[in-house]
Amino acid sequence: MNKNKFGILSMLLAVVVAFASCKPAVEGEETGSKILINEILMTNETNFQDDYGMHSAWVELFNKSYGSYNVAAHLLKYSDTPGDTAVYFIPKGDVLTLIQPRQHSLFWADGQPARGTFHVNFVFNPEKETWIGIYDSGNKLLNEVVVPAGILQADQSYARIQDGGNEWEVRGAGTDKFVTPSTNNLTLDKNVKMEKFQTQDSIGVGMAISAMAVVFSGLLLLYIIFRTIGKVSAWNAQRTAAKTKGLNEEETKEAMAKGSTPGEVFAAIAMAMHEMQEDVHDVEDTILTIHQTERRYSPWSSKIYSLREMPKK
Amino acid sequence: MGEFLSFIGQNLGDFWTYTGIYNATWQHFAMIAIGIFFIYLAVAKEFEPMLLIPIGFGMLIGNIPFNMDAGLQVGIYEQGSVLNIFYQGVTSGWYPPLIFLGIGAMTDFSALISNPKLMLIGAAAQFGIFGAYIIALALGFDPMQAGAIGIIGGADGPTAIFLSSKLAPNLMGAIAVSAYSYMALVPVIQPPIMRLLTTKKERVIRMKPPRAVSHTEKVMFPIVGLLLTCFLVPSGLPLLGMLFFGNLLKESGVTRRLAETARGPLIDTITILLGVTVGASTQASEFLTVDSILIFCLGALSFIIATTSGVLFVKFFNLFLKKDNKINPLIGNAGVSAVPDSARISQNVGLEYDPSNYLLMHAMGPNVAGVIGSAVAAGILLGFLL
Repeated sequence: MNKNKFGILSMLLAVVVAFASCKPAVEGEETGSKILINEILMTNETNFQDDYGMHSAWVELFNKSYGSYNVAAHLLKYSDTPGDTAVYFIPKGDVLTLIQPRQHSLFWADGQPARGTFHVNFVFNPEKETWIGIYDSGNKLLNEVVVPAGILQADQSYARIQDGGNEWEVRGAGTDKFVTPSTNNLTLDKNVKMEKFQTQDSIGVGMAISAMAVVFSGLLLLYIIFRTIGKVSAWNAQRTAAKTKGLNEEETKEAMAKGSTPGEVFAAIAMAMHEMQEDVHDVEDTILTIHQTERRYSPWSSKIYSLREMPKK
Repeated sequence: MGEFLSFIGQNLGDFWTYTGIYNATWQHFAMIAIGIFFIYLAVAKEFEPMLLIPIGFGMLIGNIPFNMDAGLQVGIYEQGSVLNIFYQGVTSGWYPPLIFLGIGAMTDFSALISNPKLMLIGAAAQFGIFGAYIIALALGFDPMQAGAIGIIGGADGPTAIFLSSKLAPNLMGAIAVSAYSYMALVPVIQPPIMRLLTTKKERVIRMKPPRAVSHTEKVMFPIVGLLLTCFLVPSGLPLLGMLFFGNLLKESGVTRRLAETARGPLIDTITILLGVTVGASTQASEFLTVDSILIFCLGALSFIIATTSGVLFVKFFNLFLKKDNKINPLIGNAGVSAVPDSARISQNVGLEYDPSNYLLMHAMGPNVAGVIGSAVAAGILLGFLL
C-alpha cells in the first residue's frame, strides 16, 4: 500500500473516530438486556386476579426492545435468604412466552407451577429483603432487582416509574400512583413533543433553522472531506503520470505545478486525428435506393408458429 | 314460475347493488378523470411516464366503485385484499428504500465528487421542505402532518412516501400523488422561476469542466457518505443506507450482476408496485378532502420555494467565488432531487441562451446532492417529530 492510499484510509478512520462521540453513561442505567423486571407486587389481597380467580403475588417482565423477545427457557430466580435461591425454569413450547415489542408479561408467584407457564414455584415474603433475577438459557444474568424489606403493604407494588426506566417507586399507596399489572407504568395521555413544538415553535421557524443547519453541516462535512480527497487524488495521479514519463524530482514538481491537461484537450486532439485519418473525402456521392421486396412468406404468417403440429401416428 | 321470476329478479337486484354503476359517486368520476389526465400527460406529453402511467392507472383501479359494506376484500384499504397486500410495501415503508437501492446503483456521483462544492446547492434547495412546513403549520396542520407535507418540496417520491407513512399515514396518498405529480411537472414549474431570478449574463456563465474522478474516490464516496450522514442523522438510515449501498455495488466494479439487478429488474418491479398502489390509494372516499386540495397547493409552493432557494443560493455563493470559478445559477434548480429531470431542465434552459454551454454534467452534482439532502432532511424530521 503506498503512502497516499494509507493516508486516505487513515483519514477515513479519523472521520469515523471523530464522529464516534461517546455516549455519556447514566448512573444505574441498565443498557445490556432487552428484558427487564418492571414491577413486583408481593401481597395481593384485592388486586389483579389470575386465570384461576386467585389473588396471588406477581412479578412483571417488560420487553424494552422494539422486537419480539421470547423468555422461554429463561430462569426466574428468587431469594430472601442468602444461599437459598429458588429457581423457576420458564417452560418452552408456550407461544405466550413470546413478548411483543414494548409489552409486558406477568408471572404469578403462587408456588403452583402446575397451573401453567406463568405460575412460578415460589412465593414472596414481604417481611424480608427480596432479590429477584431473570437469567437467560445460558444462566447469564439479564436483570435483577432488590425489594427492600417491609416497604410494601398489601396491594402495593414496587415498580419502575417509567417502563424500562431506572428509577423505582412504591405504588398503590395514593390515588395518583396506580398498580399497573401487564400495562404501562406511565400512561402518556398527551404528545409532549408535539405540544412543545406547538407552544415553543408554533410558526415553525425554529424547526426550519435547526433542520437546515443540520442538512448544511452534513453536506458541508461531505464537501470538505471530498475536497481534500479530491486534491490528494489529483496530486497522486499527477505524480504517478510524471513517474511514468520518467521525469526527475524537479521536473515532476514543475509538471505538477502546471496541473493536469483537461479532458477536453485530449478529446479535441483525438477528434482531429480521427478526422485526419478517416475523413479523407470531403463530400461523398451517395445514392440511396429503396426497393420494395415481394416476400409472401413471413414467420408471422407461418402456421408452424401458431398451430400445434398434429402428432404423427 | 312467478316465484322463480321473483327470485331471479331479486338476484339481479342484489347484483345491481354490487355494480360500480350503482355505487358510483361524482368523487369516483373526478378521481378517474384525474387518473386519465395523468395517463394523457404520460403518453402525449411524455411527462415522467414511468411514474404517471402506473399512478394514473392505479387511480383507475382504486376508484372503481364497489359495495364497501359487502366485505368483498377487493379495495386497497380492505385488510386481506390483494391490493392491500401490495399496499403493505408503502404503509410499512419498504418500497422506498428498495427504490433508493436502485437509484444508488444507477447514479454516477462523479460530477459531485469532482466538484464537491455543488453539494451545498443540494442542501440549500431543501429549504423548500421547511418553507412548506412553515406554511402548512400556518394553515392549521399539526407539526407531524406539516413535516410530512413539507417533504414534497424535496421532490423525492420515495422519501415523501417513507416519511408520510411514519408521520401522517392518513395523508400519505395525497402526499405521494402530489410529490410524483409535481416531479412530473418540473419542466413546467421550474423554468419560469429560473428565468425570473437570473440575469442574461448569469445564464451564460461557463463552468470549468469536471475533472476525471479516480476509482478509489468513487468507491470511497458511498462509504464516507453513509458514515457521515448516518452518524449525523441515523433516522435517515433506511434511505441513505440503501442509496449508498446501491452505489457501492455499482462503483466497486466487482458486483456487476448485483448492481444490474438493483438498477434493472428490482427497481422496475418496485416502481410498478409502488406506482400502482400509490395511485390506487387515492380511493375517492379517502382522498377527496379539503386537506388533499391544500396538500396539492402546498406541494406546488414547496417546489417553487425549493427552486427559488437553489437558484438564489448559487447567486449568493458566486459572490465568494473567483471570476473563473463561478457557478451558473441555472443549475440551482437541480438542488431538488428529481433526478435527472431537474438537471435536464438546467441543460435545456442553459442551451436556450448559449447553444454550446452544456450544463447537464454540472447540474447532476446538485441533483444527486439533493437526493442525499432530502433523505437527510427526512431523517431530521423523523428525529425531531416522531
